[in-house]
Amino acid sequence: MARRRTAARGTGGFPYLLVLPAVLLFAAFVVAPGVYALLLSFQRRKVNGGLLGGGTHTVWAGLANYRDVLGDSDLWSGVGRMLVLGAITVPGTVFFALLFAVLLDMERTRLKRVTRLTIFLPYAVPGVIASLMWGFLYLPATSPIGGDRVDFFGSTAVFFSVANVAVWGAVGFNMIVIYTALRALPAELYESARLDGATEWQIVLRIKVPLVMPAVVMCCLFTVLAALQVFNEPNTLKPLSNAVTSTWVPLMKIYDDAFGNSDIHTAAATSVVLTVAALAVSFVTARVIQSRVQQEAK
Amino acid sequence: MTAAPARAPQLDPAGGAPKPRRKVALLPTTALVLGALYCVVPTLWILIAATKSRTKLFSTATYVPSLDLGIWHNIKDLTDYQDGIFWRWMLNSFFYAAVGGLLASFVSAATGYALAKYAFRGRTALFNTILAGVLLPQIVLAVPQYLLLSKVGMTDSLIGVLLPQLFNPYGIYLCRIYAASAVPDSLLEAGRIDGAGEARLFFSVGLRLMGPGLVTVFLLQFIAIWNNFLLPYVMLTSDDKFPLTVGLYSLLRHGADEASLYSLVVTGTLLSVVPVIALFLSLQRFWRIDLVTGALK
Amino acid sequence: MGIIEERRAAAVLLAAGLLVTTAACGGGSDKKSDDGTGTPAAKDKGKTVELSFWDWDPNMDKVVAKWNAAHPGIHVKLSNPAGGDQLVAKMITAHEAKNGPDIAKVEYQSLPALVSKGVVRDITEYTKDTVGKFDQPTLKSTVFEGKVYGIPQDVAPLMLFYRADLFKKYGLAVPTTWEQYAAEAKTLRSKAPKSYLTNFDAADPGWFTGLAQQAGADWWTTSGTTWKVDIAGAATAKVANYWQGLVDDGTIAKNPSFSPQWNKQMNDGTLLTWISGAWAPAQIGGIAPATKGKWAVAPLPAWTAGDATTGIWGGSATTVTSDSEHPAEAAEFASWLNTDDAAVTEQVKQINVYPAATAGRSLPVLQAAPAFFPNQPDFYAQVKKVAPSARSFQMWGPNVTVTFTGYTDNFGKALQNGSSFTGALSAMQNATVADMKKLGFTVG
Repeated sequence: MARRRTAARGTGGFPYLLVLPAVLLFAAFVVAPGVYALLLSFQRRKVNGGLLGGGTHTVWAGLANYRDVLGDSDLWSGVGRMLVLGAITVPGTVFFALLFAVLLDMERTRLKRVTRLTIFLPYAVPGVIASLMWGFLYLPATSPIGGDRVDFFGSTAVFFSVANVAVWGAVGFNMIVIYTALRALPAELYESARLDGATEWQIVLRIKVPLVMPAVVMCCLFTVLAALQVFNEPNTLKPLSNAVTSTWVPLMKIYDDAFGNSDIHTAAATSVVLTVAALAVSFVTARVIQSRVQQEAK
Repeated sequence: MTAAPARAPQLDPAGGAPKPRRKVALLPTTALVLGALYCVVPTLWILIAATKSRTKLFSTATYVPSLDLGIWHNIKDLTDYQDGIFWRWMLNSFFYAAVGGLLASFVSAATGYALAKYAFRGRTALFNTILAGVLLPQIVLAVPQYLLLSKVGMTDSLIGVLLPQLFNPYGIYLCRIYAASAVPDSLLEAGRIDGAGEARLFFSVGLRLMGPGLVTVFLLQFIAIWNNFLLPYVMLTSDDKFPLTVGLYSLLRHGADEASLYSLVVTGTLLSVVPVIALFLSLQRFWRIDLVTGALK
Repeated sequence: MGIIEERRAAAVLLAAGLLVTTAACGGGSDKKSDDGTGTPAAKDKGKTVELSFWDWDPNMDKVVAKWNAAHPGIHVKLSNPAGGDQLVAKMITAHEAKNGPDIAKVEYQSLPALVSKGVVRDITEYTKDTVGKFDQPTLKSTVFEGKVYGIPQDVAPLMLFYRADLFKKYGLAVPTTWEQYAAEAKTLRSKAPKSYLTNFDAADPGWFTGLAQQAGADWWTTSGTTWKVDIAGAATAKVANYWQGLVDDGTIAKNPSFSPQWNKQMNDGTLLTWISGAWAPAQIGGIAPATKGKWAVAPLPAWTAGDATTGIWGGSATTVTSDSEHPAEAAEFASWLNTDDAAVTEQVKQINVYPAATAGRSLPVLQAAPAFFPNQPDFYAQVKKVAPSARSFQMWGPNVTVTFTGYTDNFGKALQNGSSFTGALSAMQNATVADMKKLGFTVG
């Protein structure tokens, strides 16, 4: 690939100069902390001795932290809950994003501008604040949406309540992604279908949706990544109910270890485990996308 | 978003449809309005709650706004709280988001342009490594970032919050796509034949042509920084350097000796959403989200 | 590439990156610099000592302003990075980076943990006179193994706060024993089906811990350098079983406190009592502003009639950190803050603390009722009466956060699933012991 291009000749070090800031930032704020976290995960903090400990020192722990983390049932039930949440947020977000995008793209739909903007706006609301607002809506005493009759924090309902906040924040952005892809399709495509007497919905299902599949897959990737990192919503809703514990999802466990128990070493080990898992999931997702795209191209 | 990128409204084949055009598609419109309602309900609640004074917030019906100008009292209370520290937070958020957004866009543009327009050793490896950065949850990096930055004495400073947010893998990814499609190689070649230096080509040809796409990158990064909670929360200890997210959170989570100031939080939440909406309304015609999917077409 | 090499490479890159960006941004801000608030002239003379102080009390700025006005040589800069246990986490992280403040407010239960991690400094040598101004039970919370680690700010005996107006309306008697409390709770349910006498709060462990203390529990005891942990013992189990009974038959509510839901319940009369510390008047003012003048205070109900023993919820000390470069000045401020009559008076007025210092408890400012309790002019007299019989644990453990998280998680689960409270206590016990052993403490 590099040989095919000629542009590199005579450019001297300029491309390197261009990527230098990003490389430095990447090294300073991703690689260095990442390596540091890896180092921390092999250490452990011990008190010096005596009744009150008298200060602490770090000792090498080998794989002990990893053993503890992998054997911690809290972590695994957290992973389970994360998967349940993801099973709601990913299809939920993508389905509604696709639905709204298709509706916006229908020529006889009205109020497009205002609905498009309104559905997009939650994206601009910080997750912490969004969760706080929904929290008010869920609680029986303050709920205007029937929280006094439905228990939004019931053992099953809580998954939908948490997922709802995430879907609420993400639908708009993904809708715009798909909508833009729809607008980019040439209108002539629908002409012959219409002449054949196809209904608007048949056009949607047989022409539009298959053609914007790449955008939909992209949205899936976004929402899967977000689902793996779910944290703000359950963490903000936690004090409102008994349903959410401090290790409810894996990132909450990391947060609790790092900021609650000030045990950075366990937090680091958990982080490493999860990052490796996330890399594996993304690798698979990326592969799936690639094959999808190649299929589409054929 | 008034201008649709590829299909202008007048090209819609309205006249060519076989059936005569009916007025309004009722079902789709209704569905969209319901969707919009769903999205606006929490904000409406906040709007209503913000009209209520402290004594009324939890003692009156939840969906009836208070008409006694409670909102002005709330804004005044918020302004009085710790000598107007709320507005300081607002200003800080703007500073972090605007400066961080601009610098991050520039870094992304330079990197994306280099990745798209030059063949150099390690290019693919670099791109893949950067993309993998998307996968590291911020929580994993926040504490090590704090510990490393403290070694150079940069915690609890504006820069400590700003610097880690300048690297944006997603922005680099978008810029690479955008540079590839918006900056024609032929134009660069022509420039080179005319004797223009590489730096000049980047600044006067590359950046200019990438301009519209950079607005999107800027807006995405602006929102990402504006919405960021964890990094400033870990990095900062002085409340006069907090952004809104951390500031409102601290209002919400006081120690056991002070009740949470819900009416202030509610009003602050409302006020914090307004500027972002304003920014979006004013920049929406530059907003080119088609970038996001560009790679897959 | 080996870890060491990679670290070195990363460090070089980090340094280079920081240099470039720092230069571009026009220089970083200096650690502990006054960033514009201090007076540069005074700094140039090199005489003013600059102390940073972390505290989450509302209106503490007014108290600090008094100090700064009277002490030109020692300038205290107040900051409010987080509240309560979150501040503890911040202090530990900051200490790791040698970035801590000079002075910090610490709740009693967190102090042993901070001492064990070396965050808080031994200030015995600077406080020889100060400690004489506190009684022994109060000092127990900040003096370990004969060393002073903090100056007590306030004490908060557990008391019963109740809606005097609604008690009258429903014909309820103010309970003096827990048996009576349960009976009144049931009576209330029959008279006002929408109301509850209280809620079982699984979110904040403070009140439950206080009840365990009242019942005679000692979650941590020490002998020599060995710890003994007894969270699930008979005394605590008695408390847990009592409340489980009330929760199971729906006599009391079970939603968490300090949430919008709870605020509303406190406001609209759904909840009639609150088992809380002496700082409650200021809290209720913020939580339920519509109920001014409707609350009253009574001693906590007893297990056996006539027993005045109560527990403690909260209370804090002012500590000096081991990062401080001016421990003598910092200790001087901590002493002033908690023993100077003017400073304590200001705190009673501004923050509603019940003073820890012996003389502070007789200050004229305590003759008046708290602003939110105009109907109870003898409020502080009541507190003064129960304060001597408030009992804490022999000592707080060195990892209370783990215990408290265990409380929130396990009691939350028990309420959510209807599982047993004593099971939750065992889970707390196990988590606490495991963590202490992991940290390297000797647990017997």
